[in-house]
Amino acid sequence: MIRLLALWALLQQPSYSSSYIFGYTGNAALDSLSWTMTTPILGVSVEEGLDISGVIYNYTAVKEVEDDFTVTIQNENVDGGYIFQETDDWSGKHGMRIQKVIPLPYTPIEEFGDGSIATTGTGSVEDASVLYMYRFDGCRNPQNDKSCPGYVEPMPVIPKIEIYDALDDDAVIDATEKTDSDLYEKEEEEERKEEDEEEDENRLELAMAASENALTIANSVSQSVLLQTINNATNVNTYYAAKVPGGIYRESISLDGGEVVDNRKALRSLAQDNLHNQMIEEQYK
Amino acid sequence: MKKLLITSLVLALAGCSLLMPKKVEANTNINGTVESRCTVNTDTVGYYGNPNAYTLTTLPASAGQVPIVRIDSSLANAYKAQISYPTSFSSSPSLSDTVVWTGAVAVAQTSSTDMSGYQAASTTADGGAMRIYPLTIAGTTWFSVSSQATYGGGQQKAFPGGSYTAVVVAECVAQ
Repeated sequence: MIRLLALWALLQQPSYSSSYIFGYTGNAALDSLSWTMTTPILGVSVEEGLDISGVIYNYTAVKEVEDDFTVTIQNENVDGGYIFQETDDWSGKHGMRIQKVIPLPYTPIEEFGDGSIATTGTGSVEDASVLYMYRFDGCRNPQNDKSCPGYVEPMPVIPKIEIYDALDDDAVIDATEKTDSDLYEKEEEEERKEEDEEEDENRLELAMAASENALTIANSVSQSVLLQTINNATNVNTYYAAKVPGGIYRESISLDGGEVVDNRKALRSLAQDNLHNQMIEEQYK
Repeated sequence: MKKLLITSLVLALAGCSLLMPKKVEANTNINGTVESRCTVNTDTVGYYGNPNAYTLTTLPASAGQVPIVRIDSSLANAYKAQISYPTSFSSSPSLSDTVVWTGAVAVAQTSSTDMSGYQAASTTADGGAMRIYPLTIAGTTWFSVSSQATYGGGQQKAFPGGSYTAVVVAECVAQ
């Protein structure tokens, strides 16, 4: 029973095999004594899954025996500091060609910053070569291969269809601009509306400015009027205080006979006026 | 009669004791192997260029290639490298005239700056054809061996057509 379970468990394992690829990069120091860890420089695709396991370097130190000279091969760490540094001290030694292998724990390429060969003292470095040993895990990113566990079928790319809008066509715009009266009127109407709105705005601005001025003027005028009223009151009071001699003016006119008769001519005139009005109204019936 | 029998028995025993070996011994082997802490490998195969009819040379300028021998020693001050440039062909067409051999052995590359004094500390033997390097530092050293063969002595005689092979001997010898 246990054997059967073990067999079943084995069958459940994914069918892919190890997809590691091992190799060496190109010479990173081919063109310069400092370099970036990029695909064009290393000659391999720098992507997720690429781990560096060591560095092989060689160069020729050109110097006099008595001169002090050190050469440091190094790679920065993107998080600060260095991933590795190897220093060769040539001080007091014959300059010659040297080759070294620096083993490293498998380190993702993403952690590698720029590389360089730095020197101190008197001397120079010639014919430098820096190779990185790598291991590429093709399934670190499952989308690299259909056989990788966790692979997800990619969504098909939906082509973008551009809809032709004749109204956006310059040729159509040019063709219709001068001949279509509706477009003319519409444009004119819009222009008129814009002008009206602009005029309203200007008017409103003027009105607001005028009211502001009016308030300012009224404020000063009301003060002067108030002063004038006070002065007038002061001046008029002298007249109120004056005394008119006699005090009472009696009716001095009297009507003779005591009866007032109606004017008959006036009534006739009124009848004519009435007739005249009727004749005018007849015109509108 | 009884005395006679006893005497005969004593004599017989004495005779037997004289015939027996004085000691018994066995040889038991103790086997062991020593794996050298020094290895020699060919890093770059050399070949001769033929710039003119009477010269074979490993100079790259003459379309030749200098062979590189790599010696790895994991133990300091335990071995010496003995490297010789060729002084004869190991295979060639029949040659009726003399061949003048010249060559040089040099440290081409090392794995440590401390080995930079190897060339200066080396000595020669076999009329200068062999160079001996005490391997005082553990690590790897690459040696280049250049070789040139001129036919006819000073007469500049043309080499017979055919294939020529010469051998560089590189050894790692315990000090």
